[in-house]
Amino acid sequence: MISIPKKGTPERERLIATHKECIESMKGVPGCTIMKCETQGDTTVVSGGFQEDPLLNKVLIRMRTMMPGNFGGKLVVVCTKVEKEWRIARLSGIRGVPPEFVNDKVYDNEQDPQHDIFLMRLDQLDEEDGYPEHFNEGWKRRNDNWTVT
Amino acid sequence: MCAMRLTGYADRFGVNPGKTIKFHVNCDGPKKYNCQIVKMIHADTNPRGPGLIEENIDADCNGEYNGRPQTIYSGSYGYVEDNVHLQVESFTMQCWIWPTTPKTHPKYWRHGAQGLMTKWCNGKGYGLFINEDGCVELRINGKSITTGAPVRDHAWHFVAASYDADSGQATLYHEPQIQYALDPDIPPVSKKVGEKISHTAGVPFAVAAYAGGADKDPQAQASRPAGMVMAGHYNGKIDSPRLCRRALSREEIETMKLGAQPGLTERRHCGPTGPLSEAIVGSWDFSDGINTACGKDHGPYLYHLDIVNCPTRAMTGHNFSGHNFDWKHAPKEYGAIHFHDDDVDDARWDVDFEWNVPEGTSSKFYAAKLTTSDGDEDYIPFWVVPEVGKEQSKIAFMVPTISYMAYANEHLANNAGGAELLVYRVPIMQDQNMFLSEHREYGGSIYDTHTDGSGLCLSSRLRPILSIRPKYDHFLMQAPWQYPADLHLIYWLEEMGYKYDCILDEDVNYDGLARLENYNVIITGSHPEHNSGPQLDALHNYTQQGGRLMYMGADAWYWIHSYHPAYDHLGRGVITEMRRCESGIRTWRADPGEYYHQGTGELGGMWRYRGRYLHSVAGTGMSSEGFDISSYYSRTYESNDPRISWAFEGIDYDEKIGNFGLVGGGAAGTELDIVDTMLGSPPHTLVGATSAGRHTEAYLLVMEDYGFSQQGIDGTQHPRVRSDIAFHETPNGGGCFAFSSIAFCGSLPWNNGKNNISTLVGNVLDRFSKDGPLPPPPKDAIIHRGRADYDPAMNKKSK
Repeated sequence: MISIPKKGTPERERLIATHKECIESMKGVPGCTIMKCETQGDTTVVSGGFQEDPLLNKVLIRMRTMMPGNFGGKLVVVCTKVEKEWRIARLSGIRGVPPEFVNDKVYDNEQDPQHDIFLMRLDQLDEEDGYPEHFNEGWKRRNDNWTVT
Repeated sequence: MCAMRLTGYADRFGVNPGKTIKFHVNCDGPKKYNCQIVKMIHADTNPRGPGLIEENIDADCNGEYNGRPQTIYSGSYGYVEDNVHLQVESFTMQCWIWPTTPKTHPKYWRHGAQGLMTKWCNGKGYGLFINEDGCVELRINGKSITTGAPVRDHAWHFVAASYDADSGQATLYHEPQIQYALDPDIPPVSKKVGEKISHTAGVPFAVAAYAGGADKDPQAQASRPAGMVMAGHYNGKIDSPRLCRRALSREEIETMKLGAQPGLTERRHCGPTGPLSEAIVGSWDFSDGINTACGKDHGPYLYHLDIVNCPTRAMTGHNFSGHNFDWKHAPKEYGAIHFHDDDVDDARWDVDFEWNVPEGTSSKFYAAKLTTSDGDEDYIPFWVVPEVGKEQSKIAFMVPTISYMAYANEHLANNAGGAELLVYRVPIMQDQNMFLSEHREYGGSIYDTHTDGSGLCLSSRLRPILSIRPKYDHFLMQAPWQYPADLHLIYWLEEMGYKYDCILDEDVNYDGLARLENYNVIITGSHPEHNSGPQLDALHNYTQQGGRLMYMGADAWYWIHSYHPAYDHLGRGVITEMRRCESGIRTWRADPGEYYHQGTGELGGMWRYRGRYLHSVAGTGMSSEGFDISSYYSRTYESNDPRISWAFEGIDYDEKIGNFGLVGGGAAGTELDIVDTMLGSPPHTLVGATSAGRHTEAYLLVMEDYGFSQQGIDGTQHPRVRSDIAFHETPNGGGCFAFSSIAFCGSLPWNNGKNNISTLVGNVLDRFSKDGPLPPPPKDAIIHRGRADYDPAMNKKSK
């Protein structure tokens, strides 16, 4: 399974810079992918990002596979005022228990919190996972850090 | 964390002019709220589009109303009203159970003991439970005995309890069907209880819950029995419950598993034996009446259970043999009901106001807009639908209400962290999602699993459905989906000045061809994925008889739905049912033997596996899906064929078609359909434009199209990951035009409808809506065509 690049490494800095560049270019798109729009907000020509950086692609997949209850709650974006305000929250992992906001930061667009979640998850995830030394009983009960819908 | 203090629903989705629609409102806090009937035109708040557009309608129900809270009493169970025979002194209770959440997290929304068979309330009465520790427990008044052995989840167990009032002795049995090598034995537990059972008048006998207590609050009238609030909702299956009025021996209990027997000349009693027949109070057989809301009692008193909140039936029982998957052919193996604490069939709220829709009211999208002076707001959508024979236009928009119900109150972003794998980005939730994440009593969607993790296959419209709302972006696309997305098309129809009617899925289901045949053209929604058989029959009959169909989206005609007949007395299409069977893109998968609908008894799953390929309905069928961003179309050489070239008038051959839009930023996106003559597209279908090669790796081929897990199935590699804009003629001057992308309609409002997607759709609608048959095709187009006729261009090359 792919490793999460350590703090301060050129690989990590590259991933962060690429992710930020893609997210900036997606502002204005009613949707989002970690690729770069040639013209901001216009998906006519998109390139780069996860499709051309295998490490970024696999790091993103590891992040996306997290279970709802992992690390105190999987991070999501919540739109708190339609078309105006967004915040970051954590899922509870327990049905009937709603997500909780992680902090007071309020965003004025729906793309920036996705980048901040990327940064938070780089810190959350262990460098290595998915090898025999990481075995636990959850692997036998589908609680193996690989969510299914 | 989030407060949606106003929620509501109407007693119907569609109302005829001259008829009345009733509204049920929960106003939890504010003393008053205001109602304004509005015509809905555009619901997408994206600043790059026209924004929210609604028109106030003069209505006699407009005005201020007193607010009051109304609660949904969710969770399914069966009950029999209190009566003298149920007020036993001694007893034996027995049943098979397959629990799904015997032990819950302390923060779980309904943590606590779960009732299996009870006539117990507040420390009085008798009942068999699973206690908070996940062990079987017998309660007699305030005393209890338990085996102390946790019940294994997702496994069958036989459980029984007896009590002899004379000796005061109680015995509890817990016998797992499967005994693993290292499982400890669970011996029966006997204990002297010495209690005289106290019976509280009015406490019902319940299966899968217990009585929480009588509640005088008027809103408790919505519970069943009215005014009695139930508690301890059980998650899991129960099979063959029996209640006898004396303590049976273990041998008698074994015999009693046979249940009540039918009378014959040689057997003139109802029991498996004469003595047991005298002991039976109730012997319930859930394999009888699977398509009803009744749990049949085959015992002497006919104490049929009222089954509340529509649990899942046609479920395999403890004795399922695997030889027969159709419950109609092996009913005795389908004696289980799967109860869930979040089942809801009908909120049963009081009516707050009603609108007598005047004769002559235009058939359109409407909503009751509710507001308070504190800034609370909710919309209750509905449609005015003309009666058959009183059509108001030549164009009809077929509102995909079954699909709206399938997605009703979905929790995917919240429950399934894996939803993020599907969408390739972080999900964005809104107030509606946050409210529902806390209010599980509002029920889920057919995309969800229940709170116990089992598949959710029944959806009611008699509850607030917060996903059918304006100003609501769906996490799947960071954009409108279903109801608000279909309003992209409504805006365009209004902006272009077309006259159109609105008809609903349920109308086509119940009225058949009569609902369609007086229109020149039927326009679909952006994602009519879920359909009943009668509806597809009507569409086929319509297009075969010269009708014209404009298929405005993708991933349609996919899942088999049926309306539950036990709810027909409450109106059209109250509860829709669907089973997710062997294949298709599925958020959950039905267990073996559980593929047949409980309502109609028909085989569920994909229409494809019932011999009705998606592509047969409108010419294209689903190939792939992706939820990051959308792309655009280019014309093919076939677009120059005179049979279809008229549709592209005003669009240059090299023009980028739909490289803009409010869903993903392009017209080709989210879920995509293609022509496939091997899967039901007519062999004469023309592809006028396609989005081939332009989709991202987030777009993946549907799993029913390949047999092995394999690489090369994404949008950058697989040639079938594309959307085809296609046309074919049908007999008698009819035709189908398929636009084949869910995102497609999101491009129509761009630049206030002045764009090339608008030009294309306008050309088609103008031609399709004219009276009389479509112009005939050129004579040389009438030739013999095979389904597989094709010579690959690359096979002709030699290098």
